[in-house]
Amino acid sequence: MIKNISKYYPLIPVLAVYLTMFLIGFYIPGMWQMVALLAFYCALGQSWNIFMGMTGYVDFGYVTFIALGTYGMALGISYTHQYEWLGIGIIFIGLIFALFLASLSALLESFIALRLRGAYFAIACISINEGLRHFIEGARIWGGSEGIIFYGALIQALGRETSNQLTAFWADFAVFIIAVLAATLNIYYMRSKIGYALTAVREDEDAAKVMGINTTKYKTIAFLTSGLLGAAVGAFAWGVKLAHVFPGDVFVIHYTIECIVIVLLGGAGTLLGPVVGGLIYGLSKYWLAVVLPGFQLLIFAPIIIIVIVIFPEGVIGFVKQKTKGTPLARYII
Amino acid sequence: MILQLLAGNLIHGLLLGGVYGVATMGLSLIFGVMNVVNVGHGAFIMVGAFITLTLFTALGISPVLAIPVALLMGMALGFFFFYTVMRRLIKAPELASLLATFAIGILLEEVVKLIFGADFRGYNWGLGKITLPITVIPISKIYAFNGSIVIALFLYFWFSKTRLGTAVRAVVEDSEGARVCGVNVGWIYALSFAIGIGLTVMSGVMLTMFIPVGINPYMGGVYTLKAFVIAVLGGLSSPYGAFFAGLIFGLIENGAYVLFAQIPGVAPFPLTVSLAFWMLFFLLLVKPTGLLGKK
Repeated sequence: MIKNISKYYPLIPVLAVYLTMFLIGFYIPGMWQMVALLAFYCALGQSWNIFMGMTGYVDFGYVTFIALGTYGMALGISYTHQYEWLGIGIIFIGLIFALFLASLSALLESFIALRLRGAYFAIACISINEGLRHFIEGARIWGGSEGIIFYGALIQALGRETSNQLTAFWADFAVFIIAVLAATLNIYYMRSKIGYALTAVREDEDAAKVMGINTTKYKTIAFLTSGLLGAAVGAFAWGVKLAHVFPGDVFVIHYTIECIVIVLLGGAGTLLGPVVGGLIYGLSKYWLAVVLPGFQLLIFAPIIIIVIVIFPEGVIGFVKQKTKGTPLARYII
Repeated sequence: MILQLLAGNLIHGLLLGGVYGVATMGLSLIFGVMNVVNVGHGAFIMVGAFITLTLFTALGISPVLAIPVALLMGMALGFFFFYTVMRRLIKAPELASLLATFAIGILLEEVVKLIFGADFRGYNWGLGKITLPITVIPISKIYAFNGSIVIALFLYFWFSKTRLGTAVRAVVEDSEGARVCGVNVGWIYALSFAIGIGLTVMSGVMLTMFIPVGINPYMGGVYTLKAFVIAVLGGLSSPYGAFFAGLIFGLIENGAYVLFAQIPGVAPFPLTVSLAFWMLFFLLLVKPTGLLGKK
């Protein structure tokens, strides 16, 4: 049993970082918004990394899941807000809608897109994202391009007091929970049969198939996990927090790029990487928005290029090399 | 009535399709040679549009002359980004090259925004129109279509008749084999990337003749995505396939628009865009090598 627990030691620094962030946000006045933003980026990076880090597949359309999560929450709340006896339960109904939509899309995507590799996979994922967005706008389903605004519904169902608390605190708190959950699932997968199978897929997919590994099954598990976590992040960080959803705001590939940048800064395929990357990215974005508003992208683009060219293994990849053989190594993966 | 509308739109679709074809040839060439999907593709189209706009409004130079200028500037940009960034990423995992090209795209967009601002701009060439019984066609669109045909033919002859073109095709087939046969593969990578970017910037010049007031630093995104659809339709690594796929795509897009506009209660324009993506999706499902791709 002791031996089993020691497998999960790398989780300690991750949890320590999240706990510190939470305490800073909770006790120092005025810090909560920034900490919430950082938690959002960490959670996204962590969720995206589960699939990409373990399989090497680049899901360029990841934002589809976040967007569908937001839509699920919006639909759940706007369909059920008139039943007063549900109370706070409408949030859970919204979450179930979000997870349902995301798993539907993840299964469809994994059925079709996971048979493709490399560039074809990336293009297929982008095409699903854009196709869905324009279909929602074009066919005028779910409010079309006008989107769904459900703050009124939220207030009607829960009262003004509770709604304000929900959007100002509990939505961000949920993002923290999801980030921790993502980290835990990630290390659980890494340390189980799923992780070994996916490592084999990443190294040589054909050889893995020949060895009798059901590659599609394991890829689908990782894809589904990653997608569901993304949907949950979307449901809370965009759905409950903002209480509106517009297709033009949520199906935006820039958010996938943010996930990629976070993971790459921290170190792809590592557990601690997305947390470190999320902190670096979130803090520098926040700081640049204050110091040089409007120029964030102009400054970020060359930095991204330099990081890719000179520093492709990321911060944690670098630290991992440095600490190899020392007692610290067992805490850092 | 609807048939007349459809026929008129199909003519416009064919003219636009030629430009789409040239716009995608660069993407396919770069993918074929380097195995890199240029996710910042649309930004280079936008650069071409701004070159045309600047030459026409500031210096009064005709867009026809902007085409060679765009080619040269595009090739210069291509060589620059190849030697600074892409050269190190040829053997790297997709994650790196996808992100790097996207970052290059953002960089271009932001630099252009810094210089020109984020407003929508446009220019009026004022060549007049041809009136057909079914539709009215601006002459500038016909110029653009002819330009794209000439460029496609030129590229075709360059590929099939010259030594350098043959070397590029050899690298597409098998870069190791080409290296063994004495092809300077590194130079072919650089040249193909530069030509690919040059073609893309050039297509931006011709595209301005279809979007009278649509020139904007962020105009490129939608063309990146259309180029993906067209490139896959044409077999992803085949520039000729891309040209014909562009023509087909232009026809389908404009034809579908007319048909969707007949359905009450929907927004036909986004629906047309989504159709293109569902098309791509099913194409990848049934024939991942593309409609016109071999094997």
